[in-house]
Amino acid sequence: MVDDPDALGGSDRRHYATCEDCRARYAGLADDARATATMLAVPDLKVDVGAAFTRVQSAPEARPRFGFSLPIFRPVSRPMFAGVVATVAIAALVVTAFANILPVFQPKTVEPVPITVGDLETLSQLSEYGTLTWSKQPKPEIVLSAAEAEKVSGLHVPVVGTLPAGVSTTVTYAAMPQAVAVFTFDADKAAAAAVKSGKALPALPANMNGATLTVTVGPAVLEVFGNLQNGASSASEINLPQLVVAASTAPNVTSTQVTAKQLENYLLSVPGLSPQLAATLRSIEDPTTTLLIPVPIQYATSTKVQVQGVQGVALGDNTGAGSAVIWIKNGTVYGVLGLLKQSQVLSVANQLS
Amino acid sequence: MGANLDLAAEAGTRMVKSREEAFEALFTSEYARVVGIANRVLADPHEAEDVAQEVFISFHRLHSASAQYAPAWLYRAAAHTALNRLRGRRRREIRELAQTPDEGARTVDPQRMLEVNEDRRLVREALARLAPKPAAVLVLRASGLSYAEVGQALGVGTGQIGTLLRRAEAALRKEVTRGTSL
Repeated sequence: MVDDPDALGGSDRRHYATCEDCRARYAGLADDARATATMLAVPDLKVDVGAAFTRVQSAPEARPRFGFSLPIFRPVSRPMFAGVVATVAIAALVVTAFANILPVFQPKTVEPVPITVGDLETLSQLSEYGTLTWSKQPKPEIVLSAAEAEKVSGLHVPVVGTLPAGVSTTVTYAAMPQAVAVFTFDADKAAAAAVKSGKALPALPANMNGATLTVTVGPAVLEVFGNLQNGASSASEINLPQLVVAASTAPNVTSTQVTAKQLENYLLSVPGLSPQLAATLRSIEDPTTTLLIPVPIQYATSTKVQVQGVQGVALGDNTGAGSAVIWIKNGTVYGVLGLLKQSQVLSVANQLS
Repeated sequence: MGANLDLAAEAGTRMVKSREEAFEALFTSEYARVVGIANRVLADPHEAEDVAQEVFISFHRLHSASAQYAPAWLYRAAAHTALNRLRGRRRREIRELAQTPDEGARTVDPQRMLEVNEDRRLVREALARLAPKPAAVLVLRASGLSYAEVGQALGVGTGQIGTLLRRAEAALRKEVTRGTSL
């Protein structure tokens, strides 16, 4: 009524005209409203929208981050996550070594690879041996519905059957179109990195200088269950999700110049690699069709499971608080991850349609 | 397969381009209003533009500009980000005064402070002391948003906005009065 004098209907208006209490109360409210309007008044503002848009476009932070900015990992586990990302990249390099025999790497099954924190540190140094550029930037975005996620990614969004007890039915969808990264080996950078590390890292074979690895990832979709934005106004305030379902077209890797044997020998000659990892890498039966899933052995355990009629890998952290299952079916990599028991995660995975 | 890849790349480029165009359209239509909301809180046009740009960048990194919730998200983020800055500014001023009490007593002339926008300063201090939701309701409404727009921005039913607003106005007056009697 303070904002709209016509808000009162007929009978209310008649009551108001004769009720002293209501009139006194209204006078107080109207006085507060007038005082607030005066207090919050500011001089008229002139903005140059064009110049502001140019500034926003040139801001480095405006570029998309590498990956989704959802709080899937707590801050304490971020260093571990960074290590896992580095290892996945290196696993892709290993696979690429074989990809030269068959020019395209098309994984059809998944295989756990035990890794240690030492392996992560050793392998992450290899990223300094060249330059990574995105020929198609990853552009993850949060969308409003499964239909919009399908439109952005071109993928079918898996439909979850029965949700485990306690998991919120509130879903946040994210989608990412395909992204393409190119890693170019650079002998000068490799030499500089070796000097910087102070270790006798093996020199890059001569013909690897300038060789490129092209890694295509996505498109991908993500369904996150949980009240993520309950009262929050920024990404840093959102809550931990209870269940995450992801689907992505299997990564595709092509390479030039480097022979399979050269790259494999080179990676296995890097000092500091644990014997388990080296042995596992040597023993992979068909690397051109195997997606390696790095499992940090201090933090997680892995077992092979049957899911959706194919072989998958189930991961669980040693505290029993969370688990995940990953599998590949018809050229798509699926993952289900949750703060749940392994049996619950497997049940969700088997009911996806 | 090469031809397929080219087609996919072309489709991807088109998609990125249309997304950039959607963002530019959103920016053009909403920037002045978002700056206005931040300026209503901070009473400082330069800082308000900083806040608006930060808000648009955050939005662009994670959301689709064609999303229906885009304006509501921007208004809410502008109000909260500006209020956070206001609270940070107040904490900083308190800390600085506490660290240099003698110097503060020597150099700050109370009469002069009163002359330099005293009312505006007191109102902003009072606003910073309010709870986030009432403060945001006041700022968004004072920035010209309708009840429905304020409701959408804060995730509150339109029917509750009148009551929230009246309570917030009373709370602000009380805080301003408290500030002047301190």
